[in-house]
Amino acid sequence: MIGLEIHCQLTKLESKLFCTCKANYRGFEPNTNICPVCMGMPGTLPRLNKKAVEKATMIAMALNCKTPQRLGFFRKNYFYPDLPKNFQITQLNLYGPTSIGEQGKVSIEGKEIRIRRIQIEEDPGRLIYEGVSERTAITLVDYNRAGTPLVEIVTEPDFDNPRQVRIFLNVLSDLLENLGVSDPTLEGAMRADANVSIEGGNRVEVKNIGSFHDLEKAIHFELTRQTSLKERGIEIAQETRHWDDKRKITISSRSKEEDEDYRYILEGDIPWVIMDETSLQGWKKNMPESISSKKERYVSKYRIPAQVADVLSSDKYYSDLFEQAHDESNAKEIANMITTDLMGLVDTREKREQSKLAPKHLSDLVLMMNSGKVTRSSAKNALQEIVKTGKSVSDIMSSIGLAKISDESELGKIIDDIISQESTAVQQAKENPQTINYLVGKVMQKTKGKADPTITLNLFKKKIGI
Amino acid sequence: MSLGISAIEYINGIKNGTITAEEFVAKTIEHIKKVEPKLHAFISLNDNALEQARAIDKKVKAGQNVGAFYGMPISIKDNICIKGGKTTCASRMLENYTAPYDATVVSKLNAQDAVIIGKTNLDEFAMGVATEFSAFGPSKNPWDTEYVPGGSSGGSAVSVAGLESILSLGSDTGGSVRNPASFCSIVGLKPTYGLVSRYGLVSYANSIEQIGPMGRRVEDVALLLNHIAGKDPHDPTTIDNKNQDYLSGIDSGISGKKIGIIKEMSSGSGLDSTVASVFKNSISAFEKLGAKIEEVSLDMVEYTVATYYVLTTAEAGSNLSRYDNLRYGYDLDSEGYEFKSYISKARRNFGPEVTRRMILGGFVPSAGFAGKYLLKALKVKSKLKKQIEAAFSKCDFLISPTVPVLPFKFGEKIDDPLAMYLADINTVTANLTGVPAISVPYEVKNGLPVGIQIHANLLQEKQLLQAAYALQNTTKLPEVPL
Amino acid sequence: MRIDIENSDEYFERVKKILGYFDILDKANIEGEEVPVQQVAIDELRDDKYVAFEDPLIQQLKNYRDSYVRAPKMN
Repeated sequence: MIGLEIHCQLTKLESKLFCTCKANYRGFEPNTNICPVCMGMPGTLPRLNKKAVEKATMIAMALNCKTPQRLGFFRKNYFYPDLPKNFQITQLNLYGPTSIGEQGKVSIEGKEIRIRRIQIEEDPGRLIYEGVSERTAITLVDYNRAGTPLVEIVTEPDFDNPRQVRIFLNVLSDLLENLGVSDPTLEGAMRADANVSIEGGNRVEVKNIGSFHDLEKAIHFELTRQTSLKERGIEIAQETRHWDDKRKITISSRSKEEDEDYRYILEGDIPWVIMDETSLQGWKKNMPESISSKKERYVSKYRIPAQVADVLSSDKYYSDLFEQAHDESNAKEIANMITTDLMGLVDTREKREQSKLAPKHLSDLVLMMNSGKVTRSSAKNALQEIVKTGKSVSDIMSSIGLAKISDESELGKIIDDIISQESTAVQQAKENPQTINYLVGKVMQKTKGKADPTITLNLFKKKIGI
Repeated sequence: MSLGISAIEYINGIKNGTITAEEFVAKTIEHIKKVEPKLHAFISLNDNALEQARAIDKKVKAGQNVGAFYGMPISIKDNICIKGGKTTCASRMLENYTAPYDATVVSKLNAQDAVIIGKTNLDEFAMGVATEFSAFGPSKNPWDTEYVPGGSSGGSAVSVAGLESILSLGSDTGGSVRNPASFCSIVGLKPTYGLVSRYGLVSYANSIEQIGPMGRRVEDVALLLNHIAGKDPHDPTTIDNKNQDYLSGIDSGISGKKIGIIKEMSSGSGLDSTVASVFKNSISAFEKLGAKIEEVSLDMVEYTVATYYVLTTAEAGSNLSRYDNLRYGYDLDSEGYEFKSYISKARRNFGPEVTRRMILGGFVPSAGFAGKYLLKALKVKSKLKKQIEAAFSKCDFLISPTVPVLPFKFGEKIDDPLAMYLADINTVTANLTGVPAISVPYEVKNGLPVGIQIHANLLQEKQLLQAAYALQNTTKLPEVPL
Repeated sequence: MRIDIENSDEYFERVKKILGYFDILDKANIEGEEVPVQQVAIDELRDDKYVAFEDPLIQQLKNYRDSYVRAPKMN
């Protein structure tokens, strides 16, 4: 049995959870995205970010959780150098349900994963070890991250295997992106710990897992380790283990940490937030359409094939492009263009950030294709240029000459050349008209895809007399 | 020009040109230099005070807009942050700590042209009733320097009583404004929880404490409250007071008002007989003012001292854990220490009372004990709130002696924390319920002051100050023997 | 987390005495009481706006090579 604790940063917010420093701390020099509040300087008080409550509620709603009537915050007390106040402001349901969500569920491939609780909390700073090994290193602290809004999602131990975990995390990651609350591709924006146990064994918590790829490995390692212990009749200790990134194994943490008593107390500096029905309904209404609903709409309304709709809907970048580029008449072609021609050009965050492509480029290109002015393969070439330069479709057509060649005399000359060069193929075509496509392909090659395929075919047929 | 004038008299003096801020501040500084060796009200003084006073005088002369305080010297408890200045909390832990920002109350006072004359002494991190727990030595009661001035805002009370400032800001977590006000024969108000911003007040027990104004006259305290109260975006627990003017109509009297004597605070073996007789006199005074007196019972009061110490130690344990000496603090090289041993070592700079409360604070919210201590304390707080609400549905004010005992001598209670804690019995209820309470100096018996405490319902400061003003006008107090 | 103290017995005795006093809470009739909290409306929360702190705060803190805070070793 596997359960997860997933931490997601709300990277799309402007400011931190309790102060006005930048939520997305990336790119700052060490300790330059800090203020007296997130540094917990004496006398400062937390000021809860309204948008964080709104966005976290949306996550809870998207995961089918119950939202509380009042939102309460607590202090989790423990000492660590990355924690400026030596307590973390977080949520739990100590005095009734007050965390942002509870009792949710998500279905993955027919398997129901229950969500136990969702809570809003502040991210700690970061420790940097300078030196040969952790033991001899100098410990440096960068507090730029301290106070970044985090949403922690705790699942029930409902996963059977690492594969389900991977699928769930992909679904969750797409969902967060679709909600516009987080960019899960940013390093450290989404992190997970796992609870792993096997039948008849104690629960083992695995922490310090750097990537989802490693998470799968860590769970796999734990399952194997625990099974092997069981087979040898050794009891599986209830403990916290750390993932060793270099050796790709889990290592027992010192027992001290497990015994930690967090001495939770009310955070009196943050009054409990009354989650009024009007606000909740308003947020619900403003929630972006869910991935599954988008997919359904693409299939039923535009007759887009399920697989294409799947790809399109689960990636917010693609579906946003689609939504802005399409209308009733061109939806299917836009979808095709995104999922076949565009995909390779913008498949990483870096490429997307650099891309100059706008939705109008897509609709213009499809219009050109549908009206017979440009061929599909020319369109693909044009996309490359657009992503790079952002030039308008008409500019590109004139500057690099992507306009379709449909002039019969021009095409005739090219076809004549090919007929003289490919006598064997011409002979074959006469015997088996199907093979004429080879010859049409040659014309396309020569014209860099600009030849109108229908006119070319008809001309060919006429010239060789079939 | 007497340093003993009221804030209102000071302002009138400036306005009609009989005094200047510079003269008054200069005279105050001179006086401070004379009496400080004896009283020790201050931890640090403002070196720029005279210069600031001069600048304000200039504005007055030029007919420019001048803030409401006209260069009046006001002292501030040293657990309230002033940007660029030291904020020590009377602790070795923060002996050299410089705050990077102004507390909201400080910004407000500066905006109203107050001259912050200095930072006053307190029990370390505001934990105590005598300033005996200040790492920099106690303050002395100006009425008799053998006696404690009360605490924890002892320095603030001494600075006002000893004519070293006209007004002062203290902080009140369980009586820390009212107790020293009573012991030093001045006025001290604990406002409704949330009326005054705590932004910049170093937290001890954040869920119940408030910054409170202190002065020699009730109307002075009302004036100070006028300029520090109200909603602050930096403090989410603050309440909008609609810019209420606490000074206007302060002389409205209390004829026909109903006053309840809190039985649990006004009788019993813990009550000193001198205090009891002074309290009796005050009841007659209230009657003469036309108020109707009855007795009310709040049976939860019996549990309030335990409740107060459970809640405050739990919060203090959390609030003070940030003092790990990593980011700020005193010089202690971390070389050769492991993280946890470094912190244990660094925290030796906490004094004995803070250490005791940190130990308790580690215990009462811990797994296995939270249900026995913390949860019960929270529930007592809840029930007490209901009881006081019920009392205010019948009465306009609730009264008691501010402190059940007379000022005591140094060292008398320091070794008996329980006896010390029980001195809080009459003051902690206002903090636990959030209601405002004021201590009004009523008599000085055998050279020792006794104050009367008046509570009002939440946000009823205006009425509370009217009652206090009415009571003040029935007294004739001796001059402090400086 | 500990605090180094010299006369631990004395502290222990005093703390024990105070904890003993706290037992009085066992007698309080507080059945049915709920944990009291202050409440606030969503609209009163802070708007999500980025405003940088004007001063380079790290320069006012204990810093190591100008920009880091140094912690004791962790193991």
